[in-house]
Amino acid sequence: MNLAGQILAAVMGTVGFSVMFSVPREYYPLCGFVGGAGWLVYCLVLPYTSTAEATLAGTVLVVFFSRLFAVRRKCPVTLFLIPGIIPLVPGGGVYWTAYYIVTEQMDLASQKGFEAVKIAVAIVLGIVFVFQVPQRVFRIGTKGRETGKTRQEPKQP
Amino acid sequence: MEGEREVMDVAIEAGHILLENGAEIFRVEETIYRISRHYGIESSNAFTLSNGIFVTADSVGKEPFAKILHVPVGSAHLDRVAAVNQLSREIEEGKFTVSQAREELERIRKMPGKTYRVQVLAAALGSAGFAYIYGGGVTDALAASIAGAILYIYILYVSRPHLSKMVGSITGGMVATLASMLIYTLGLGEQLDYIVIGAVVSLIPGVAFTNAIRDITDENYLAGVVRMLDALLVFFCIAIGVGVVYAVARQLAGGVRL
Repeated sequence: MNLAGQILAAVMGTVGFSVMFSVPREYYPLCGFVGGAGWLVYCLVLPYTSTAEATLAGTVLVVFFSRLFAVRRKCPVTLFLIPGIIPLVPGGGVYWTAYYIVTEQMDLASQKGFEAVKIAVAIVLGIVFVFQVPQRVFRIGTKGRETGKTRQEPKQP
Repeated sequence: MEGEREVMDVAIEAGHILLENGAEIFRVEETIYRISRHYGIESSNAFTLSNGIFVTADSVGKEPFAKILHVPVGSAHLDRVAAVNQLSREIEEGKFTVSQAREELERIRKMPGKTYRVQVLAAALGSAGFAYIYGGGVTDALAASIAGAILYIYILYVSRPHLSKMVGSITGGMVATLASMLIYTLGLGEQLDYIVIGAVVSLIPGVAFTNAIRDITDENYLAGVVRMLDALLVFFCIAIGVGVVYAVARQLAGGVRL
């Protein structure tokens, strides 16, 4: 696998989605970074595990960086999370499921369909758990730049 | 001192813009609550669904206030979500009077979206990227970018203004597959599968899927489940659209590799 090309393509794709979702222009580089970092981890972990586990690892990183940037730049985490997670969404899995159903290869279809569901569950788990990390963890090193009083949300950025 | 109604109108408008443009339920309710509280209304309550906001306020000695808002969810404009978020933060810092806040919300609502040309280019870029990461080669990525651009033009001019979400997704999947087949037949690209995967990518319900997970995590089950259903339905419709074209091509046989 050509890793550099993979990362470049993931960054391109993520930035493309940032534009389609009207993310403010100054955040394009951060969105690209989040998407690229998630996909890099996915690619590095994949040779040793299943697609679902690699997706979980990628999601954890995507959510972590999304929250970090959201806290540091004081903006909604959604700006980074939605474009950044898209490379990991099982779009390919859904395609192959449809493809095998049409070509009447039901074994392969159910295998791919089940894999897509597992990937989706991995994304859910990654998001659920990294959002439990307390907000102050992401504030480390920002010393007194912000007090709790002016924060937008107590629970999440 | 502004009346309760003016304050609540500003708070609700902020919530409306957030919900309409792809924010989580938690953020919508929290923003309504924070704005109304800052302007002195402690008694406000907001309940939000995926497509509606219910707000009441009942302070002692004032007219009770209630409003129900139907919010059809449009396409995501995350810049507006960011702008309202910033406004709410600055309101809490005391930088806005109620009427200034109302003007600012009006400005946010009118924030220009990206031009169609930029959006189509972004879709082409996205399609190329995803065709490549899902396993295609450079020529496949190139072919996917053209097919993705064709799909997005279809979305902007036909499906978004005229069609329901389901029909739009099914026909979108069909358009993307047909465009990919055409480009493939004309000789660009090596693996049709990856061209199609790249081309349909802009139909993927990324906002609904991610927000659904966030809402369910926040225990806003009702809104979360509706959004998840929305996302699954769109996935399913895309698959039907792609599948129908493949099935027909298979019947006609021979033309395209299957």
